[in-house]
Amino acid sequence: MASMPSTIHSPLILGDKNPSDVTNDICASVERGPSLSWWVAISISSSMLLLGLISVAYQIMTGIGTWGLNNTVGWAFDITNFVFWVGIGHAGTLISAVLFLFRQKWRTSVNRAAEAMTIIAVMCAGIFPLIHMGRPWLAHWMAPYPNTRGPLWINFRSPLVWDFFAISTYFTISFVFWYVGMIPDLATLRDRLKAGWRKTTAGFLSLGWNGSFRTWLHYETVYLLLAGLATPLVLSVHTIVSWDFATSVIPGWHTTLLPPYFVAGAIFSGMSMVLTLMLIARKTMRLEDYITEQHVGAMCKMLIATGGMVAMAYLTEFVTALYSNSPYEQFAFMNRAFGPFSWAYWIMVGCNILSPQILWFKRARSNMLVVFVVTIFINIGMWFERFVIIVTSLHRDYLPSNWTGYSPTWIEIATLVGSFGLFLTLFLMFCRFIPVIAMAEVKGVLSHGRKNQ
Amino acid sequence: MSDNSSKEYWKSLERRSDGVRPLPVAGDEFASVPDAPGGERKGVELRRRDFLAAAGFVLGSATLSGCARAPVEKAIPYLVAPETIVPGRATYYASTCGACSAGCGMVVKNRDGRAIKVEGNAEHPVSHGGLCAVGQASVLGLYDSHRLEHPLQDGQEATWEVVDSEVTHRFDAMRKSGAAVRLLTGTVTSPTKRRVIQAFLKSFPNAKHIEYAMLSTSAICGAHRKTHGQSVVPRYSFDKAAVIVGFDADFLGTWLSPVAFTAGWSKGRRADVDTKNFSYHAQFESRLTVTGGKADRRVAIAPAQLGSVMNRLASLLATRAGVAFGATGDDTDVHAPVIEGLAARLWHARGKSLVVCGSQDVATQIVCNFINHMLGNYGATLDIARPFAEGEASDTGAQELLRELQSGSVDALIIDNVDPVYDLPNGAEFEAAIKQAGLVVSVADRINDTSKLATYVCPDHHYLESWGDVTLGGGFVGFQQPVMRALFDTRSVLESLSIWSASGSHKSDQALVRETWGDQVAWNMAIHDGFARISELRVASATFRNAAVKPIVDAGRPSGQELALVLYPKVAMRDGRHASNPWLHEMPDPITKVVWDNYASIAEDTAGKLGIETGDVVRVTLADGKSPAIELPALVQPAQHDQVVAIALGYGHPESARFKQVGPAWLEGKPTLGDNGLVGTNAAKLLTYRDGTLRLSGEHVSIAKTNRTHSLACTQDYHNIEIPASLVLPGMDRRRPMIQETTLAAYERDGTLPSHGYDAHHKDLGDLWPDDHKYEGYHWGMAIDLTTCTGCSACVVSCQVENNVPVVGRDEVARKRIMHWLRIDRYYSDSEGTTDILHQPVMCQHCDNAPCETVCPVLATAHSEEGLNMQTYNRCVGTRYCANNCPYKVRRFNWFDYAHEDTLANMALNPDITVRTRGVMEKCSLCVQRIEEARIEAKKQGIPIADGDIKTACQQSCPAGSIVFGDMNDPKSAVSKLIKSGRHYRMLEETNVKPSVGYLGLVRNRDENEDPTHHG
Repeated sequence: MASMPSTIHSPLILGDKNPSDVTNDICASVERGPSLSWWVAISISSSMLLLGLISVAYQIMTGIGTWGLNNTVGWAFDITNFVFWVGIGHAGTLISAVLFLFRQKWRTSVNRAAEAMTIIAVMCAGIFPLIHMGRPWLAHWMAPYPNTRGPLWINFRSPLVWDFFAISTYFTISFVFWYVGMIPDLATLRDRLKAGWRKTTAGFLSLGWNGSFRTWLHYETVYLLLAGLATPLVLSVHTIVSWDFATSVIPGWHTTLLPPYFVAGAIFSGMSMVLTLMLIARKTMRLEDYITEQHVGAMCKMLIATGGMVAMAYLTEFVTALYSNSPYEQFAFMNRAFGPFSWAYWIMVGCNILSPQILWFKRARSNMLVVFVVTIFINIGMWFERFVIIVTSLHRDYLPSNWTGYSPTWIEIATLVGSFGLFLTLFLMFCRFIPVIAMAEVKGVLSHGRKNQ
Repeated sequence: MSDNSSKEYWKSLERRSDGVRPLPVAGDEFASVPDAPGGERKGVELRRRDFLAAAGFVLGSATLSGCARAPVEKAIPYLVAPETIVPGRATYYASTCGACSAGCGMVVKNRDGRAIKVEGNAEHPVSHGGLCAVGQASVLGLYDSHRLEHPLQDGQEATWEVVDSEVTHRFDAMRKSGAAVRLLTGTVTSPTKRRVIQAFLKSFPNAKHIEYAMLSTSAICGAHRKTHGQSVVPRYSFDKAAVIVGFDADFLGTWLSPVAFTAGWSKGRRADVDTKNFSYHAQFESRLTVTGGKADRRVAIAPAQLGSVMNRLASLLATRAGVAFGATGDDTDVHAPVIEGLAARLWHARGKSLVVCGSQDVATQIVCNFINHMLGNYGATLDIARPFAEGEASDTGAQELLRELQSGSVDALIIDNVDPVYDLPNGAEFEAAIKQAGLVVSVADRINDTSKLATYVCPDHHYLESWGDVTLGGGFVGFQQPVMRALFDTRSVLESLSIWSASGSHKSDQALVRETWGDQVAWNMAIHDGFARISELRVASATFRNAAVKPIVDAGRPSGQELALVLYPKVAMRDGRHASNPWLHEMPDPITKVVWDNYASIAEDTAGKLGIETGDVVRVTLADGKSPAIELPALVQPAQHDQVVAIALGYGHPESARFKQVGPAWLEGKPTLGDNGLVGTNAAKLLTYRDGTLRLSGEHVSIAKTNRTHSLACTQDYHNIEIPASLVLPGMDRRRPMIQETTLAAYERDGTLPSHGYDAHHKDLGDLWPDDHKYEGYHWGMAIDLTTCTGCSACVVSCQVENNVPVVGRDEVARKRIMHWLRIDRYYSDSEGTTDILHQPVMCQHCDNAPCETVCPVLATAHSEEGLNMQTYNRCVGTRYCANNCPYKVRRFNWFDYAHEDTLANMALNPDITVRTRGVMEKCSLCVQRIEEARIEAKKQGIPIADGDIKTACQQSCPAGSIVFGDMNDPKSAVSKLIKSGRHYRMLEETNVKPSVGYLGLVRNRDENEDPTHHG
């Protein structure tokens, strides 16, 4: 592959597969029984989930006081986790919709898993706004619906309401997009599975797909339209999430930089998480031919690009603060970098700015272990980015008399672990029951049967 | 059925192969026993109708029993309703506060038969409308579940009849036998009580009344006995003093009558009214007090230096007055120039100055009297003709009683609401000795260390349930009246003594009080007002006896590693008699901001030398080794003299063991109580007797670090007016302009506050939005004068009582989750080697552009047409976004369900205010319930709300009158006038949140060049 002049001419799928090989390879993980490693993985992840469920139940029974928050720091792990997971949920739509519109064919190997990851991550994210409420049993009050509470309505000026719409819209569109893209593969499954509930379900979900020209025509049209619909969401969701902070008066939050900063950060973190998961899946599910070094390399380049944007944002924040002539703003950033939470800041800088720099080297990009370690660093760094933005801005704001610290309780840590448990459990279920690679799309980019290849 | 046909019908092969077996008859599926021949039914049977009937019965009875209500409580309406009692409408009674002996006037709010709030009486001649934190909190003492509900005999419930007959019988026998009867009380400030006690004891051939107090005034009385021949505490008039000098007298915080003194002191410090007559206040003190923090000149001195400083001042004044004084004081003292300057100022202000001293040493107090005498202050700012109090000139009475008890010569001991086992240094000896007495009768309202030793406990009323009177000084007497029916089967001590007296006449406490005053006061008017003027001079005026004056003999200075011990009453806890009151335990100390603990305060330098940090448990041992050491956490305190270790009294009270359950119980929750199972440590063991008085300060102690730690719960960290030096960009102002201050000289010249770096770049560029939210009716606002605010925290407790603010316990405070709606921010600043303290009360600022309002997703917080920022508790879902977005961080979140399980204590809840549930946000409402009450009243009368009709709870309680609330749309209102003042500013004005609460900058009587430098 190294001799190839450019990726345009290099095969995306290795091993000289024909369409039948693709079907067999990819359906294999769905059709054969779960492996021992899958059982081990799901026992660990579901234990984490259980721990999270217990801690959430305890917290809802006892009160938000079981978290380490205080009168000054009203959000910490809860909203950090929320923004982190929403960020993770960015890669799917980006890979599926934006790269689809840009005709990036390499996306076909990763889009299915990336979209699944998006949906699961948004589900993880959605939990936090719910449980962070003092009275989560009244969460439905956030929704505008006809009610018996007189003229009382929600506050459309509140970024939390915008958030509610942004996240639910994003989830809906992502889910529909993911499902529509899966229909041809579900039909394949339907045709291959033995009679039983799985076949019936696949049959039901494939909506009577018959592989005719008309079916394909409709499918392609809908897919293109959905991709067009989903593309603006990539920008809107994290923009709106960033408004939770940007529209406030708190130094460190109140800045117009936040929307592009958050979007870049979200794509960065999402890409990184896709890579983390795909590198594991590639190894454990024997998909090296489908997810090749070329795919990994392409995503690494996106990491460098988005990581650069994030670095730019970090720098811009400081320049803006310096230029603002607002002593509060200037202090907020000095405090961020050199105050009591400076360790979190430098973890963030180290993980998000320094660690991806190694990916400039092709040798690093082709070493899966190096890439894996870098993505883990980025995942950690991006979690800390949100922690830094939320906690360091809040804990020392305007009045020095209010300045406090923050340290998480075990309940908060267990809830974070639980959200990873949910994420991994659902992802493992996805790997088990749904073809992890979009077979129909991969078949379109095979070299098989092409002339001169 | 099978007989009916020869044909076989089958449905399946299985069935056919089984042979013919009939299916059960469909119509008889409920039949448990087949029908017997002849149609007779046997055994248990159930027909459809029966089943339905039974089911109906069961359903009906279950429903009916489920509908049963709780036991019926009969509420019988008045046939003829009393005119004054309207359900839901409060009635107010004037009374006198009984929480300490100062005798502040108060108005008690009674709702539906129960007292729910006490407030200052604005017309009162002593307190002038304020009421301190302790007074505010004392209403909860009424609903204290530890109060005895009936008399006790040998620890068992008894009736008054039985107790009275036995006690009377035994007293009668003692009258005949000439047995020794001793009555031990606290300081008696009530003329009626004194009269009743005298009448009672007169009937015994061998009887004696012993008074003692942990915080006694005996040295002042002793000094005046020597200089004026009168054993009195003068009435001090701080309002008439142009120069005030305090020597270890925390008169704005805890000394004698802080509310009255704060009112007087603040009158001389109204910077907007009169800059010419702005008083000058110098304070010499060993530990940092609220008084010293407010002084124009504060000098930290060791207790041992007090004598030489006062000698120096006295000699300088004596030279000017041409009077002989035996000493010159130490003129090499570093403070000599300060004292010289002060002497000049005092001499200039002869007859308009006041020197007060808090020492327990009679010789020191005599020099203080001498200074005041030379300055001509007697008759001007000090009144001994109509004194504040009369008292014992010695503290040794209790010790003499102890010796009598130990010798077994006391036959009967009556103890009136004092607890010597707790609050005297040799309490344990008392405990053993009291058991020697033949008969011990206690009138304590609860079982405490002392009353548990009594044969009979005859519980006294709470002061809000009884009649009484208090000498106020200045020719006034205050009256107490019961504001509600006694909750329990208790009885006023006056009544008890009257019943046990020789005549056996049963007079009510009301009759006894009335009897004392007879025609001297117009009774109905006196009860209506809560006080009355009495014409006679209580003590004949006396001439000053120069012969009594001798220079103070310098006490020895601590040697080597030893420090001087200063025991002091804390602003909230005083002598510990209110140790069962959670509001006072959770009131942050005005200086240290620590709650739920006492501690050994050590100066920064000393702590550094000893390697002690805040939270280290230290062992404090008296150098003479007379009493056992106590162990308690250390606190490093700026501005304290470095040879001093200061410890608050009143802690480690056995009563505080009840707070085990305070605060939420959860996985990581920590207890409110310390390792000793109590709140704090009892420092009374370290009190000492010297020259006949009980000494709070001056003993030498050694201090040693143990390897234990005990974290102190503090609402605010130290060193934080300024941002840390390491986080400063060049050219950035380290000091944030939260508190703006100036000197009197600069203010007189400029009429404004100095400008600060934070507003330089913020110009009012107007709003992006049209100004379509005009306040056309009222526009409520508040102005707080930082010049007169002492940080005494009366407002904090008043707000807590008024607004049902929960107590959260030590751990929650340590987690910075205190619920107080009103907090007092404390900052330190340095000025020419002395340290000032700056206090700033901060509540919701009711911003016109409120950042909290826009971010709430469910509109739980909204703006009223009158500028109030309103919080709707039952709409709040608890996202906490509003609190995050509040630049002042005044919003309080209900992290847990805070306990309201003490049903008795719940009687003190204000029924006008919702008790908030877990998970909702709350905050200051500017007492919207009071605004509405005034609005309804005004509406009924068809007039607008007049300025001053509404007083918020914090404003009402403020002894200094620093808080003013009113309509900012009315140019004539008091608040509007203050807003126009040159000192007025609003916090964070540059953020354009437009707060409705503003502050009046702090002015100190200093020269312009004494510009304070603020430190971190």
